[in-house]
Formats: sequence, structure tokens, C-alpha cells
Amino acid sequence: MKEHDAIITVNHLNLHYGEHHALKEIEVGFARHKVTALIGPSGCGKSTLLRCLNRMNDLVENVRIEGEVRFEGTDIYAPEVDVVEIRKQIGMVFQRPNPFPKSIYENVAYGPRVHGVRDRSTLDAVVEKSLRDAALWDEVKDRLDAPAFSLSGGQQQRLCIARTLAVEPEVVLMDEPCSALDPIATAKIEALIEELKTRYTVIIVTHNMQQAARASDYTGFMYLGELVEFGDTPQVFEAPREELTERYITGRFG
Amino acid sequence: MSEKFHEELDTLKEEFLEYGHFARGMLVDAFEALKTGDEDLARSVLARKGELADRSDAFDERLLKLIALYQPMAQDLRAILCTLRMNASLYRIGRYGKDIALLVPHFAGAGHLGRMLNLPHMAGIVVSMVDDVLRAYGAGDISPIKDLSARDDCVDDLRYSVFREALTYMMEDPQHIERGMDYVMVARYLERCGDHCCAMGEKVHFMLTGERIEIK
Ligand SMILES: Nc1ncnc2c1ncn2[C@@H]1O[C@H](COP(=O)(O)OP(=O)(O)OP(=O)(O)O)[C@@H](O)[C@H]1O
Ligand SMILES: [Mg+2]
Repeated sequence: MKEHDAIITVNHLNLHYGEHHALKEIEVGFARHKVTALIGPSGCGKSTLLRCLNRMNDLVENVRIEGEVRFEGTDIYAPEVDVVEIRKQIGMVFQRPNPFPKSIYENVAYGPRVHGVRDRSTLDAVVEKSLRDAALWDEVKDRLDAPAFSLSGGQQQRLCIARTLAVEPEVVLMDEPCSALDPIATAKIEALIEELKTRYTVIIVTHNMQQAARASDYTGFMYLGELVEFGDTPQVFEAPREELTERYITGRFG
Repeated sequence: MSEKFHEELDTLKEEFLEYGHFARGMLVDAFEALKTGDEDLARSVLARKGELADRSDAFDERLLKLIALYQPMAQDLRAILCTLRMNASLYRIGRYGKDIALLVPHFAGAGHLGRMLNLPHMAGIVVSMVDDVLRAYGAGDISPIKDLSARDDCVDDLRYSVFREALTYMMEDPQHIERGMDYVMVARYLERCGDHCCAMGEKVHFMLTGERIEIK
């Protein structure tokens, strides 16, 4: 996988939560402008791996991280690296839509403001573009000042995606972005992911195998902290190389 | 995936294997009827036509339902794909049995032309191909279908031999034309059955190994 044009490469990554060895010798490359899905049973380390990619685990107590995560060649764990800048380049969307208790407009404008954008017309343009990119613009353009919580769950999730896109990241990490959504909202997010990959690199964690099969170009299967298999999505779902993957995706587990 | 799904799939595969033998039986009996001019046996083949179609349709329906209800993956999905494709092929093979049975009256009174050795030989090979595809499918073992391609080449060559042989009889006497043409037709049906076996072999291979191959 490393031979692809990878925007993020992970080398010998190990992570411990206290005594618990949660990621074991992870080696993987995430291809630029592609969608990569991470699947695996609960507790296998998907979210942990995802959070390593933009240093969200730094906030966790007692965590020990060894190995490298390179973004565009730079080790993001190097001491001189600015974490805020990394999180701007590598944005994250969470499982439950988590808009701020502010207006729709302010939710999207928040990131650019934090990064120093003050000019109102520039902010307006960023808000519109991000909402369009998140396929939400048409639904909210007449009520940008309404509270974000007045939106439906699926709309809130797209708002969170717009908020992530507003700071123009290179990579969008999504941790089970559809698990709280109905099938229609899910279909919209999936269509959006397909759209996004023309300009962004998307890495998505999902428990929904069909979603991984539909929405991704590459799939990684994790088990007990290890990346057991990584390959082209059709190959992984049609004819996995590893027995363990086969058993997991056909439901012959445990 | 639920245990229920795997149980249903296993049961379906067992029943499908039985259907495969049913379709094979139509081909074997039709050819036997042709060889011996047995019109009763031919009629019994024709009488199985409806059941052949109904059972095939029922399998399609059950397979599609399994996909819709469980969205299977990997080996399970491959098993369903394989079974769907084999279902179409086995149905065709049964239908060729029916087509051959329809020709039997031409021979019931008049008998055969000459010795016609090639045709039974050809039928024997084709039936062995059907048997081995079903065996591989049922046992989950690709070894019986390893030489399908070689057998199919043989079938293709025999088809040409049958054609030349039949042509010789037809040139001898215009009385021979109808039966000579029948031989040519039967050889074509058998050759098509061989092709279906190759197609089924490819699917069984894919089901069992995850690897796509081309047979022939
Ligand atoms: N902050 C933490 N402190 C201690 N252990 C943690 C922490 N976060 C996760 N873990 C443990 O690390 C392992 C991996 O957790 P992680 O959340 O990455 O799993 P996951 O694959 O995302 O699971 P799920 O599908 O349930 O979200 C689990 O055993 C979990 O209990
Ligand atoms: Mg998780």
C-alpha cells in the first residue's frame, strides 16, 4: 500500500493506554484523494488509530505513542510541530453530530475565525462554500442565523462536516459519521463522501460493512490492535486474503 | 451475520445440488432415449420441463432474498453468485435435454445411421463435466474441475467429427438428411452444455478460492 501516493503514512505505530497495548505495529499508507475505510470489531482500535492521525490522543491521560505518523512527509509527532496547524490540515467528524450551541452560520465560521479570518465578506464566502461542499447549502441558506440544534440529525452531521471543511483541511477523518443517522441521511453523507474525495482525502471508521464496501476505495481490517488486512475495497469484501477478515465480514466471528 | 443466514445458505446449497442432478438427469435420459429410440423415456424428459423451470425460478428468488435480507460478503457472496450463475446454466442444460428428447421420434422407427460412435462419446464427456462441476460445488473442492478445459477441447473436436460423419451419411442418401441434421443439432447442444460446464467451473473456482480464472 505504501507504493501509492500516500498523503499520510504510518510506520511502526504503537499506542498504549496505560498497560493496555491498543495499537500494535501499525504500518499503513492513506492514499491521497481516496476514501479509506477502517473496519473491525468493537474495541479493536479503529478510533484510536484515527485519533492518532491528527493527534487527538494527546489529550488522553496515560497514553504512550511510539512510531511515526507522517503527513506529507513530516512526522506530526515531532516536537516542533504545531498541533493546531495539524488539526487544521487533518479535520475530524465524530459519530454523534456535535454542533456548537450557536447559529448555523457561527458553527461554520468558527474555525476560520480561530485561524484569524475577520473580514465579514470573506467569512460569508467560506460559510457558503463549506455548506455547499457539505451538500447542506440549499437546505439552510434562508436560515443561517437559526440555531444549529434546530436542524435534523442528518443536517447537523452535514453541518459538522461543513465546519470541518471550512478550515480547508487536506484530510477529513470520520468516526462512524452515519451511525446516528437514518438511511436517507446516511445515503446523503455517503454521496457527499464520494464528492469530497475529488478534493480531500477521507478516512472513515464504520461498523457498517456495506457502507465500507460502497463508500471506500481501500479498506483496512483491524483486530485486537493490529491491522490484519489492508487492500482494495472490492478485494477485501469479495475475496479477503486473511482468514480472520473472512470470518469477520461473513459474520462467522466468535 | 446471523447463524440463520448460514443455515439457510447451507440448506439452499444442498437442495441446489439436488436440482443439479435433476437437470443432469434430463440430459442423460434424453440422450439415452435418443440412442435407443425410447419414446416413453423421451416423453418423461419432456414432462419434466415445467418442474425444471419452476425450481430454477424458486432458487433465483431465494438467492435474491438472501442478498436483500443479509447483504452477504466474501465467501458467502461468492457462493450466492456462483449458485445464481449455475442455476442459469443447469436450467439450460436441462432444456438441452428437452431439445434432444424432441428429436427422439425421428429415430424411433427409422433407427440410426451407421454406427455414430462419436456422439455417445461426446455425451459421456459432457455428462462427466456436469458431474464433476456438481461434485466440486458440493464438496467444496476444486480438484474435480482442474481438467475441465481439456475435456471441453475434446468436446469441441468431437463436435466437428460428428458434423463430418453426419455429412457423409447425408451425401449418401437424401433420406438421411433429417437424421443427419439431428446429429449435428445434438452435437451442438452437447457442445453448448460443455461451455456451460466451463462457465460453472469458473464460478465454482471463484467461490472456493476467491480467484477469477478463465476456463478454455
Ligand atoms: N481513553 C482511553 N483510555 C483507556 N483505554 C482506552 C481509551 N480509549 C480506548 N481505550 C481502549 O482501547 C481499545 C481500542 O479502543 P477504540 O476506541 O480505538 O476501539 P474502536 O475500534 O474504535 O471500537 P468501537 O468500534 O467500539 O468504537 C479498547 O480496548 C478501549 O477500551
Ligand atoms: Mg470507535
